Amino acid sequence: MVTEEKLSFYITKSKKLNISDFKRQTRIALLSNFTLDGLAETIKVKCGELNVGCDTFYGGYNRYNEEILNNKSNLYSFSPDLCFLILDIRNIFGDLFYSPYNLSVEKRKEFIQNKVNELVDLAKSFIEKSNSKLVVSNFVIPTYSSYGIFENKVDYGLQEMVFDLNYKLSNAWKNENSIYLYDLNGFVSRFGQNNVFDYKQYFFGDIKISLNYIPFLANDLLGFIKPVLGLNKKCIVLDLDNTLWGGIVGEDGFNGIKLSQNDPIGKAFIEFQKYLLSLHERGIILAVNSRNNSEDAMQVIKEHPDMVLREKHFACLKINWNDKVTNLQEIAQELNIGIDSILFMDDDNVNRDFMREALPEVLTVELPNDPSLYTQTLMELNEFNILKITDEDKKRGKMYLQQKERIEFEKSSINFEEYLKQLGIKIHIKKADEFTIPRISQLTLKTNQFNLTTKRYQEEEIMRFSQDKKKIVGCARIEDKFGDYGITGAFVVNKDNPEEWVMDTFLLSCRVIGRGVEEGILDYIVNDAKKNNVKRLIGNFIPTKKNKPSEYFLPNFGFKKEGNRWIYSLENHSKKPSHLLVLGE
Amino acid sequence: MSNKLYSIISKVMDVPESEINDQSSPENIESWDSLSLYMLIDDIETEFNVKFILEEILETKNVGDFKKQLKKHGVDINE
Repeated sequence: MVTEEKLSFYITKSKKLNISDFKRQTRIALLSNFTLDGLAETIKVKCGELNVGCDTFYGGYNRYNEEILNNKSNLYSFSPDLCFLILDIRNIFGDLFYSPYNLSVEKRKEFIQNKVNELVDLAKSFIEKSNSKLVVSNFVIPTYSSYGIFENKVDYGLQEMVFDLNYKLSNAWKNENSIYLYDLNGFVSRFGQNNVFDYKQYFFGDIKISLNYIPFLANDLLGFIKPVLGLNKKCIVLDLDNTLWGGIVGEDGFNGIKLSQNDPIGKAFIEFQKYLLSLHERGIILAVNSRNNSEDAMQVIKEHPDMVLREKHFACLKINWNDKVTNLQEIAQELNIGIDSILFMDDDNVNRDFMREALPEVLTVELPNDPSLYTQTLMELNEFNILKITDEDKKRGKMYLQQKERIEFEKSSINFEEYLKQLGIKIHIKKADEFTIPRISQLTLKTNQFNLTTKRYQEEEIMRFSQDKKKIVGCARIEDKFGDYGITGAFVVNKDNPEEWVMDTFLLSCRVIGRGVEEGILDYIVNDAKKNNVKRLIGNFIPTKKNKPSEYFLPNFGFKKEGNRWIYSLENHSKKPSHLLVLGE
Repeated sequence: MSNKLYSIISKVMDVPESEINDQSSPENIESWDSLSLYMLIDDIETEFNVKFILEEILETKNVGDFKKQLKKHGVDINE
C-alpha cells in the first residue's frame, strides 16, 4: 500500500519551495464546488519532486461557473496548461441528495439530463477559450439510501441517478481530445467513503475530502500532470530471481523455483506476470536485468510451463554477471530511450540502493518483501498514464522485436552503406491532420535527443498551427524491410516572411536516428521552400542537456552560422542520401 | 505534555516552539487559519489518540484551550 505524508508536511514544504528554481515549469488550475484547501500546495511540492516548478491557481470556493463562462476571468489570465474541475455530488443535487423521491421518475431523469447538458456545455465553453486540457471529476455514488436494501428495486433511484450521470458524462467526452473524466468515485472507493468523507470536517469547513486524503488525491491528479509534461515511464526493467519467480534458479533449479498455480507464493508471481503482460500489450516496454547464468534463466523463460512472460515480450534481455547499473545503461542505449523513462523493479534492496545512488533519474520502485503485494504495488504506480493511445503506442512491442532483427541484420552486413541500401528505407511525409496531430504533439512532448529546439506543444497548439496558413506542420512515417516505425519525425515551419522560412521545430524519434532519415526529411522541406521561391531557410539549435545528438546536424547539412541563426541558402544544391526514398503526399 | 503539544503546533504552524504559549491564537500566529487549525486538530488527535467532538473544536480559540480539552480527555498535562 502506498503510504503518504500528512497534509501539514506538504503545506510546510510548499512555503519553502521557490518554483523559479526549476528550469521546467507548468501551470495548473483547480476549480471546485467545495473546499480543497491544501491541494494546490501538495501538487506544487509533488511537481517539485519531479524537478518541475508548478504555479497553481485555485478558483475560489464554488466559483467555477463564473471562472469558466467569463472569458476575462482570472482563470484565463492565469493561462493554465491543465485545469481540474472537481465537483461534489451534494452541491449538484442540493435538496435532492436526501429527497430525490419527491420528484417523479420522469422528473428525476430530466434533472440528470439537464445536469449532463450543463456540464457538457461548461466544458465546451472552457476548451473554446483555452489551450489547456480539462479534467472533470465524476461523481461519488452514495452508499446510503433512504430505501436501504430496497434501493435497487426503486426505478431510477438515487444511486442509479448518479451512476447514470457518470455514464452519460463518460460517453459525452469519449471522443473529445481535450476533456478527460477523472474517476473520483474510484478514488473514494479505493480508500473508502467512511475514511475520505469526515462529517466533522464537512460541518467545520465544507471539507468533503478529509485533509489527510488530499495528498492521495494529489497523486491521482499527478497521473494527468505527468503525461502532459511527458514525464510518464515507457519501460519496466525487471530482475528475475524473486521478482518474476520465487527462489533462485541457479540454486533451486528449473523445477525448484516457485511459479505454479498450486502454490500460494507461485500464484503471486503468476499474477504479477499477468499484470506486466497487460502493460506490455498496451505498449509499455519490458526488459530484463538479472545477474544469472544466461542458460539457466533463458531455459525458464522459454520452457517453464507457468511462465506468462516469454522471450518475445522482452525488448531486451541482459542476463549476465555484470553490475546492474551498467546493464541498465546498456538497455537504455539499445532501446534508444532516456534513462529517465525507465522504471526498475528488483526484490533486493542492495541492488535498489545501488541503482538509486548511481542513476537517480531511474524510478527504482520500493518492492515490498512480500511477493503477494507485488501486483498491488505495480497497480498503484501512477507512472504509465498517457492521454492518448496512438497507433505507435499499440505497435511498440512489435516494433522493438523488428529492431532486434535489424541489429542482427546489421551485424551480418559487410559494411554500413550496403546495410543502409538493403534496408530499403521509405519516408512518407504527411501534413498534419486529425489522425496525425495527437502523435505530432506526443513527439514534441517526448523527443529529447534529436530535437533542434525542444519546443513542447500540446495537441491544441498543433491543431491551431495546422490551421494557420503561415505555418507548415508535417510529420514523417518511416518504414523499411523489417516493418513500419510509424510516425517518428515531425516539423513546424514558420512562413511569416515569404523569402525566409524558419524551422520552429524539427525532431526525429531516437529509434530512427543515424540512417540518413533526418537529411531526407530536411531535404523535403528544402525542396518545398524552393518550389515556393523562398531564398533562405533558417534553422535554430537550442542546446539542452539531452539534445547533443542533433548538435552538428545543421552545419553538416550545409547551414552557415550568422549571429545565433543557422542559414541555408536555397541556391545550394541539397543532397538527399541515395539510399532513401522520400514520398510526399 | 506541553513539549509534545508545542512540537506539533510548531510543525503545523511553522513557528518556533519558543514563541508558543497559552495565549497563542490566530491573533498572534500568522499562519493560524481554518486549514492549519484543522491540520493541527488532526495531528493532535492522532498523536494523543483522542477524538474531539465538533463542539470542542469550535470552543478552542487558543493553545490554552487545547490544553483544557486534552485534560478533559484524560491526557496527563504534566506527563
